[in-house]
Amino acid sequence: MSDTLTLMALFHGGTDTAEAIDALHALGIPDDKVLVITGVPYPELALGRRREWLTLPYIVLAGAGVGLLFGLFLAAITPHLYRLDVGGHPPVGFPPAAVITFVFTMMATIVSTFLGVLWEMDFPRFGPAPYHRLVTDGDLAVLLEFPAELEAAVRQALEARHAHHVAEPERVGL
Amino acid sequence: MSEPDRSTPFDERLLLAERTDQEINQAVLRPMIQTGWGFWALVTVLGAIVAWGLYAWGYLVYWGIGVTGKNRPVYWTLFITTFVFWVGISHAGTMISAVLRIFKADWRRPITRGAEAMTAFALMMAGLYPLIHLGRVWKFYWMIPYPNNRLMWPNFQSPLMWDLVAIFTYLIGSMLYLYLALIPDMAMARDHTAGWRYRLYRALALGWRGTEAEWHKLHRALGIFSVAIIPIFLSVHSIVSWDFAVTIQPRWHSTIFAPYFVIGAVYSGLAALASILVIVRRGMRLQEFLRAEHFDALGKLVMVAGMAWTYFWFSGFIVEWYGNEPVVRELIREEVSGHLAPLFYLQMSANLIPIGLLVFKRVRTTPALLLAATLLVNVGMYTERALIVIGSLQRNHLPFNWGLYRPTWVEVSIVAMTFAGFTLLYTLFSRIIPFVPVWEIKEGRLRYTLRRIGRLLVPTAAEIE
Amino acid sequence: MAQDVKLSAEAAPRWALVVDLDRCTGCQACVVACHAENNVPVAGEKQALYGRWMHWIIIHRYWEGEYPNVKARFMPVMCQQCTEAPCEPVCPVFATYHNPEGLNAQIYNRCIGTRFCGSACPYKVRTFNWFRPEFPGPLTEQLNPDVTVRSRGIMEKCTFCIQRIRRVEIEARAEEREVADGEIQPACVQTCPPGALIFGDLNDPDSRASQLARSHRSFRLLEELGTAPAVIYLKGGEANV
Repeated sequence: MSDTLTLMALFHGGTDTAEAIDALHALGIPDDKVLVITGVPYPELALGRRREWLTLPYIVLAGAGVGLLFGLFLAAITPHLYRLDVGGHPPVGFPPAAVITFVFTMMATIVSTFLGVLWEMDFPRFGPAPYHRLVTDGDLAVLLEFPAELEAAVRQALEARHAHHVAEPERVGL
Repeated sequence: MSEPDRSTPFDERLLLAERTDQEINQAVLRPMIQTGWGFWALVTVLGAIVAWGLYAWGYLVYWGIGVTGKNRPVYWTLFITTFVFWVGISHAGTMISAVLRIFKADWRRPITRGAEAMTAFALMMAGLYPLIHLGRVWKFYWMIPYPNNRLMWPNFQSPLMWDLVAIFTYLIGSMLYLYLALIPDMAMARDHTAGWRYRLYRALALGWRGTEAEWHKLHRALGIFSVAIIPIFLSVHSIVSWDFAVTIQPRWHSTIFAPYFVIGAVYSGLAALASILVIVRRGMRLQEFLRAEHFDALGKLVMVAGMAWTYFWFSGFIVEWYGNEPVVRELIREEVSGHLAPLFYLQMSANLIPIGLLVFKRVRTTPALLLAATLLVNVGMYTERALIVIGSLQRNHLPFNWGLYRPTWVEVSIVAMTFAGFTLLYTLFSRIIPFVPVWEIKEGRLRYTLRRIGRLLVPTAAEIE
Repeated sequence: MAQDVKLSAEAAPRWALVVDLDRCTGCQACVVACHAENNVPVAGEKQALYGRWMHWIIIHRYWEGEYPNVKARFMPVMCQQCTEAPCEPVCPVFATYHNPEGLNAQIYNRCIGTRFCGSACPYKVRTFNWFRPEFPGPLTEQLNPDVTVRSRGIMEKCTFCIQRIRRVEIEARAEEREVADGEIQPACVQTCPPGALIFGDLNDPDSRASQLARSHRSFRLLEELGTAPAVIYLKGGEANV
């Protein structure tokens, strides 16, 4: 089994980064071995990356459904559990039930969006991870894993696109 | 080749400024870390007012609601007025960050965090009032459906229950929204600070690095949030308005209350946001980030909201005036030419004059004038809430039951406490959390370039994201 | 109590109070009797002037006309025990609800003092305990043990002396007989010197209250609001001068 090397390269601009990634593809390094870390969100396909499929929308829908059911329970079932007549109204009226159900649905939607996105991103995730502080100062970091024999070609491709700080990635405590 | 015509001063545009990311980071972090004596003086004064207000609240709980000016028939006074006011203020944050995000309005970028923080803190202050105004606050938890040996449930037909749930939802929603959009900036702050700040930001950044997957997921979540929080913010103030509109108290029982209150909230909240931004810009020396273009756009939005408020006010007023129902007629007489007249004319002038002033670009882009106009709006909107809550209760169907209300030191202290508390929270927030959403500004700068159209050089926004 | 088990198969009574304005002299004996029966505190002159009087029944007084043709119009007003009470749905903790006998019940120990019901009531008959009620001196000796003494922060109002209703119902059940018409007398009814207050069961067509309710002199207060009150006023002639 051949060795794999991991390198991190920093670039100053988006175009350089995209061209470098294209060159890496040409060398046969697949997308899932290349990770781009930026301080600014670049448009989805600007750096030649595939769009990822998310379970977030389904989590949100499920959460909204739970909220709806809970709201319906509180508004429409609890008045029958302990019956108290008020003001000539029936125990369950449409307007109050609609308000309560709506608010609980929205509450559950919001909370499930937040928890869902945290779950999907695997947050909180502390501990050492490959990272470079210059990312938040505007540089783009490309983290790549490749078989050792390609090293010279990779380095040349990166330096041709003005990469700096090409080295083994620091495992920064995050 | 002739020189290109520069018709707009776009070199003053934030998103076209010649700054590196590093300089932007430092410009945002520096005011947080350097605190002068002015900051500490402000915190001390605000802390003192809050402490005095807490004492007044303790006094209220010990002696009873009678230490306020409430009586029969004016059962609800300044506490409920201020409650409605704070809920109103909270609406601007969502308007700015959610609605403008959906419309891809780039001028929102430096403002969103300040606006969302305003929402969160205003809701915290608003949430105190349903507790403060309770006769037996130590039993407040009976409004929460918890397992009890009587197997009793709270009454979900009551608008106060809707209030409880809706405000809680909005508070959670706005805090989560604020936090979610904050994570990348926590990472930035983590990378540039040391000591207790480093530890705090590191914890709050949750291990954010900025991989494409993380950005993609964050964007999706923010997109869902922006859409989901709009019905929430519309429903919250409608529910608060139904505290009044579902009763048969004259002048409260009006179907226009829900949209009227919502639009009043947007008006008052946006005006408050403009006031706060002018002050923070000065106090934290953020002139770099909050520029004329932002205040210009915000001022226009306040003006439009003001026009909409006027329309809704008039729609309600004309039918009440025309219908000539006895008690409503008496209430209108009280407002227009009776005891409440000074407050009524204050309300109308303070709400209408700023609309006229904000028509002028000069007013919108001069910080001092904008501050004056928007403070006036909130004076008017507070008075409006007071007239609705207190003014209407003073009259009812049986003239023997008509009454008069005079506030006491307890009520004024507690109201002052929430104003000071809001300002205090905001001041502390501005020193701990980067006030300007740096990553959003950098994202905006990616979109903007200069383009040539004929002889003009114009800023152009790219259609990305 | 919400669930009152009846031994007989008869329908539950529907209590009503008839106020005969042609007999009322405005003497305020009903006000005092109510205070004594229901442990209603005295607010004091200063608080009363500020609109914080605690009377559960009060004589509304209006002046009509210009001197020398001035007339005083007065009527006793207490909780109207509305069938469609606007005060009931707005309480967040169900401290007020409609019981099967047609009474608007107020549960003192459940009230958390939001005062929403007070704002919603069009008759403004609900009283709030603004302070801890004080019963100075020997007044503590005459507190009614059948009625709770309320603390500060609680809403209260006329209950048609539900403690008296219950006592008579329990006695009647113990003696295995029906409650007779006129046997239940709230404090105000018992005390009224000219007999202007009559209490009875509207579900019994022969009771005195039912008969008076069918009188041509009858009206209800603020009838147009649709609250369907259980208090019926009678007014025919120019009895009040």
